[in-house]
Amino acid sequence: MTRIRVLFGVAAAAMAVGLWFALTAPPDALQGEYSRIISVHVPSLWLAFLAFGVTALGSIMWLWKRKQRWDRLASASAEIGVLFTGIGLFTGMVWGQAVWGRAWDWGDPRLTSTAVMFFVYLGYIALRNAVDDPVVKARRSAILGVVAVVQVPLVYFSVNLFRTLHQTQSIRPDGSTMPAEMLIAMLVNVVAFTILYVALMAARTDVARIEEANRETELLAGDAVKPPKLSEVGDV
Amino acid sequence: MSFWNQTLEIARVDLRVERRLGDTLRIVLPFAVVALMVFPLSLGIELATISRIGPAVFWALGILFGMQVALRQSAADTQERRDLHALLGVDPAARFVGRVLSGGVLMLAFLVVLFIAMVLIFGPTLPSGYWSTVLLGTLLFSIGLTELGTLAGELTAGLRNRTALASLIVAPLALPLVIGASQSLEALSRGAGILTWVLLMLTTDLALAVIGVGMARPLEEATR
Repeated sequence: MTRIRVLFGVAAAAMAVGLWFALTAPPDALQGEYSRIISVHVPSLWLAFLAFGVTALGSIMWLWKRKQRWDRLASASAEIGVLFTGIGLFTGMVWGQAVWGRAWDWGDPRLTSTAVMFFVYLGYIALRNAVDDPVVKARRSAILGVVAVVQVPLVYFSVNLFRTLHQTQSIRPDGSTMPAEMLIAMLVNVVAFTILYVALMAARTDVARIEEANRETELLAGDAVKPPKLSEVGDV
Repeated sequence: MSFWNQTLEIARVDLRVERRLGDTLRIVLPFAVVALMVFPLSLGIELATISRIGPAVFWALGILFGMQVALRQSAADTQERRDLHALLGVDPAARFVGRVLSGGVLMLAFLVVLFIAMVLIFGPTLPSGYWSTVLLGTLLFSIGLTELGTLAGELTAGLRNRTALASLIVAPLALPLVIGASQSLEALSRGAGILTWVLLMLTTDLALAVIGVGMARPLEEATR
């Protein structure tokens, strides 16, 4: 528990530093103060991609090794990935309303595919909630975890494949299209969000471990009822 | 028995069960046609709008009711049937391919009838070459949706709220198919090329086929 508290403490400090960098970076000439949203929007979606990648890795490892810890890793990462995707979608909509003049554009593949990714992993969580047996739950969600990750590269590269409203990547192998101050603010926030992800993962996997331990010891309905002996049953 | 003989036998049995139960043709198809009629009724007498939205409504209903076809009762194996297949040594990949084959035939028949109903009810303007594109799009859409439905049906086998849960899994993942199918018709209406959209559907179908065959054994274990 101390380890998780320390991790959350470090995450809070890193987030505070990230916030300071985001608020002190110079505003964009065209976007104005709204450009600061990018310091939250981009890191949250990068971390969502990482989280879903970890879910796929945990799923593959579970199918291979059949150890419950891989299932805990996959499920925890999917839940946190959905949280980060939700933050990314919301901040993107706020930014889009201010800069593009509309929060959502159905013709944009990046927006649509990100929303689809969000719903696919909601389906993953719903599937897990529908199964009681931990092993059956792990088997079924591991398969979906592997299937679902196929779309993640499509979401990431959709801005290159279909050129529409959403801009392409700002950081490329040949350099960055962002000014240095804005780039540093964004990268500091990426580090802060990564530490937050690690802290959330540690906490969620711990909770999952406790839930599993409780499930093994808890009584089910009917466990306390013993069938009467024949000698105790009177004439019917 | 070879892989393909097993596949064909599974598909044949599936289609025979479906012929007896009649889920697709007697229940899902009439319901889908009724839903198709609701749209013009809700729009009033704006014939130009009705004619324009017809193909879009077709694909929207195609995915919603297509999921019901993919997740029909006759495609849900009982535990006894699964055990029987395992004891007989049926290849799980053959089961998956056979199920996709039978489901694909039903889905294609369902979509073709639904499309004809849409043309009669909505009266869209059809450019030349439209029918061959519709058939190609419907075929690729049917294969992909059936593959997804089969995967989701296996993942949710025996669970409470199976149909709703499987639909939640299928609907978002089927989006590349809907986009490919609807955009190919849209491109044809504009006189643009359809290759990109056909390739999108084909890639999705192939990826799902590889995943389905590759995951067939873990899927079989998952339903035990």
